[in-house]
Amino acid sequence: MSDVNESLVTPLVTTETTDEQASRQGKGSVSDVRSLVVQLIGELPNGWGRLLGAVALSVAATGASVALLAVSAWLLSYAAEHPPALYLLVAATAVRTFGTTRGVFRYFERIVSHDVALRMQSALRMNVYDRLARTTLLGARRGDLLIRVTADVESIMDVIVRVALPFASASIVLLGTSIILGFFDFWSAAALLVCSVLAGIVLPLIAQRMSARTDASSVPARADLAQVVHASARATTDIVAYGRVEQQLAQVAEADARLRAAESKAAWTQGLAAGSQLFIMGVAVAAALVLGGHAVATGAMPGRELAVLALTPLALNESFADLAKAAQTMTHASTALRRIIELLTAPPVGVGDRVVEPVQPAETGSESDVAPAEPEAPSASAVLELDGLAIGWPNNPVIVDDLSLTVKPGQAVAVTGPSGIGKTTLAATVLGLIPPRAGELDVAPSVGYLAQDAHIFTTTISENVRIGNPFASEDDVVEALRRAGLPYLAPERIVGEDGNTLSGGEARRVALARILVISPRPALTLLDEPTEHLDAETAQKLMDDIWATTLPEGAMLVLTHDPGVVARCDREVKLGE
Amino acid sequence: MAGPINPRLLREAGATRGFIIGVGATGVAQSFLVIAQATIIAGTVTRIVENRSTDGVWTAVGWLLAVFAARGVLTWLTSVLAHRASAGVKSSLRRRVLAARLANPGSQTSTASIVTVMTSGLDAIDAYFGKYLPQFLLSATVPIIVGVAVAIHDLTSLIIVVVTVPLIPIFMVLIGRTTQTQVARRFKVQLRLANHFADLVAGLPTLQVFGRARAQAKGLAASEGESRRHTMGTLRVAFLSAGVLELFATLSVALIAVTIGFRVLAGDLDLNTALYVLVLAPEIYIPIRMVGVHFHDSANGDAAANAAYAIIDAAEAQPTVDDDSDATTAGDSGDLLQLDNVTYRYPGSDEDAVAGLSLAVRPGEIVALAGTSGAGKTTSLNLALGLLNPDEGRVLVDGGKHLTTQRGPDWREQVAWAGQIPGLLGPTVADDVALGLPAGQAVADHTDLLRDALDRVGGESIPLDHPVGDDGEALSAGERRRVAMARALLRVEQGGARLLLLDEPTAGLDEAREAQILWTLRDLGVGVLVVSHREAVLAAADRVVDMTAPAASLPEGAK
Repeated sequence: MSDVNESLVTPLVTTETTDEQASRQGKGSVSDVRSLVVQLIGELPNGWGRLLGAVALSVAATGASVALLAVSAWLLSYAAEHPPALYLLVAATAVRTFGTTRGVFRYFERIVSHDVALRMQSALRMNVYDRLARTTLLGARRGDLLIRVTADVESIMDVIVRVALPFASASIVLLGTSIILGFFDFWSAAALLVCSVLAGIVLPLIAQRMSARTDASSVPARADLAQVVHASARATTDIVAYGRVEQQLAQVAEADARLRAAESKAAWTQGLAAGSQLFIMGVAVAAALVLGGHAVATGAMPGRELAVLALTPLALNESFADLAKAAQTMTHASTALRRIIELLTAPPVGVGDRVVEPVQPAETGSESDVAPAEPEAPSASAVLELDGLAIGWPNNPVIVDDLSLTVKPGQAVAVTGPSGIGKTTLAATVLGLIPPRAGELDVAPSVGYLAQDAHIFTTTISENVRIGNPFASEDDVVEALRRAGLPYLAPERIVGEDGNTLSGGEARRVALARILVISPRPALTLLDEPTEHLDAETAQKLMDDIWATTLPEGAMLVLTHDPGVVARCDREVKLGE
Repeated sequence: MAGPINPRLLREAGATRGFIIGVGATGVAQSFLVIAQATIIAGTVTRIVENRSTDGVWTAVGWLLAVFAARGVLTWLTSVLAHRASAGVKSSLRRRVLAARLANPGSQTSTASIVTVMTSGLDAIDAYFGKYLPQFLLSATVPIIVGVAVAIHDLTSLIIVVVTVPLIPIFMVLIGRTTQTQVARRFKVQLRLANHFADLVAGLPTLQVFGRARAQAKGLAASEGESRRHTMGTLRVAFLSAGVLELFATLSVALIAVTIGFRVLAGDLDLNTALYVLVLAPEIYIPIRMVGVHFHDSANGDAAANAAYAIIDAAEAQPTVDDDSDATTAGDSGDLLQLDNVTYRYPGSDEDAVAGLSLAVRPGEIVALAGTSGAGKTTSLNLALGLLNPDEGRVLVDGGKHLTTQRGPDWREQVAWAGQIPGLLGPTVADDVALGLPAGQAVADHTDLLRDALDRVGGESIPLDHPVGDDGEALSAGERRRVAMARALLRVEQGGARLLLLDEPTAGLDEAREAQILWTLRDLGVGVLVVSHREAVLAAADRVVDMTAPAASLPEGAK
């Protein structure tokens, strides 16, 4: 996966290989993730200070609960020797203090660790956004990738809160406890350390390895279930109309059963790890009784210290339980973060942002960091001239070779061809997002682009329209909406998640308004499958309006496979022939 | 606030209820093992300290290891049983949600919400059964059993337990109430800020086309900062309840420890009993504390279950029409399909989707439904399929039989249908076209038939082995319509359907192909009800029923 565009165009393939790789070679991914974490902490103001603070608070909280039981045990044993009450006061105060501080430390540890994790997540989001903005994303199948990125980024929170912090603090507490108990009796402290390493580190790692294999097998099962459910939900009427209800329910049950089998193995492993941890701590208690008991019998250790040795492992068990889960969390998180790392380290494709003609000269400074791939001025009569053009994504094969066509003002030219022939690649090339592979490309400096899946942002209608022209006035926006056939849409209305308060036709008209608000009007407008996913009547009305608003002032290049749209155009160019 | 236990979810467990009882039983067994563990540890330590000898330590250690081994096995068993319970509930809910969706195809629940509920949504139930429920069962049994075990040897310590334990749930409820209102108040703004990144990333291709992607980075940084401040504000409140819970639990243990310490000093209590109480005291509080820790799992599981039940309930709440005995009293009119002054309104809507529609289709006749968007043309087809019951008027089929959703399945065996945005099941085009064949026919035996049907509806360029799916390689919307048409054609020619229902069958086709399809329809000789706005289709129909939108102000696409 050295080539970013491949991973952008075929993310489904990437997922599977990455999951398999992660389960087989967890080592490499863990060290990658570690360097990402280190880099992000470095980017935060006082990042290391915050993280160490969280670790210190966590150690204090866990330590307090261990100390509570240990000191209490000492208190009881010493009290049994009936010393003067004064001698017990310090221990009694310590017990009360540990009882109070544990909850307090834990509360602040949660606050500090979540704060630092959220800051790291923000930093990672900024890095990812910056990186994605610099690579051209127009093209097939990118939707999956972009949706997954947002979920993947959140894994950094898990790595900090659920993995790094518990492991760091548990290791420190274990080591510290063993050292302190070593002053009481060396051999039982050594036994405790060995048991702790087994239960806290070795077991979680074994559980992780075992679950990585079952996780890998549950990924395709989960995907199958999602696929069957998705098809069933979308094709409900078809299933009912053709009497396939029982068959469909059986298919879901079958996919469900396979996922259930995979998940059952995971539950088995988790239970086994937790049970074994408990047993190992039992061994530590037993070792303390035998070895410490021997020390007491020989007089090497005062009797009151035996209870401390025997009871401390019981308090440690609670912090181990989180570690088995932490190791499994790391499997999932490192798979997700590996995808992010791949994305961050891959070389960019194309220019990312299009070079847009400055709309208002005074504001050009903000966009001047973009390397201008200034197109040559088109010949006086044409707004688009392709001469022997070869197109294809950088580092990928040329898809279409020797393409020649001319679009003159007032013309609409259709480019047709079956799905996957390279229509969107042509759009990206004409828009200047990726370079042509060979041949000549002369295009007007200002080009509008209307996509079938233009994104409607969760903000006001007005802000959505202004994406076409950030300097447009409120009146400009209202006028653009009116011409786009949406006179009833209030500019200040906030569009819901994924634009779901707009119908498909309305969303496409908002996208049209983005083009209509560009000033001066673009000499060429690209339409990319403008009728796809619209019902016939809505599509026809939209095409009527586009032809009425866009064509008189410019020209159009229409990428489509809809014969109805082709019929409206002046000319048809077939790709792949 | 939701109750501590969702009774419906427990009922759902049905056959797997045994596993839940098993989880409870392991909890009870754990308590007795914990008591045994405390007895052995306290007894052994006391004996060694008092006798200064390790006599009998190996026997004690043997018993101790056996106890820990048993506890380990029970821990493993709890995990497995909890998984069984949760998996059973998930499977049952998945089946019921999908069955509800298929029982009520006319419902307006969005595809996306069904997919979410049935896949990742229901996974929240794992934590409910895997973490919350076992802890809840433990918190109801362990403190009582262990408390009694403490009381047998030391009544004084029990008093501390009896005073402090009830305080914990009381405080939890009090704090939970306050935090919940606070959290709910912040939640909306927090969600909007949190989604800004997702929204920008999803819209990156659009931003790049307008050269606006990099300019958004500054706005993103600002909203990220604001989002973090809001989230931390919420967390500070939300962590409070867990913090207080932990404080109470550990403080209570400390209180017990100090109290028994001074009673040992005074000679009121022997070391053996004191150590025994010290080992048991934390065990009383752990399950209660854990209920607090996993409380959000309960809330998430509850929410997931309720989302599933909402879909199931919506399907069951669909009004059923009395199966009137005068099924054929309308008289045999010879009409294949008759809509008699039919009105339908979607639940929750305040306007009729179809208002007072009347039409009839006789065998061999092509009837076209025309009208503006939002006039209810597609809803009319759903009524004719028996997917919806009209609010007023009647749908009569087969010469006057009263069609209700209950009779829908029988009626649909005689109907072929092709929607405007057809859903395909796959895995390949051939499988989908073959849905039109009579049940039980193997796809491989009829490839010629499938190919021929596809060719006659303008799908010559679609390979039969082309995979069907949602990704970039899949069919375009126009190609999917061809597949659905071919399927309907086979249903008439091979499956013996007598009525053909079509929604915009010629959308996106050129005139030559449109004419070819109209000829094909005429040749079939069955009754055809076709929704279309194309001139050629309306001209070819024997009759045109014009539906005008009941609400002309409706925006397009809102049907």
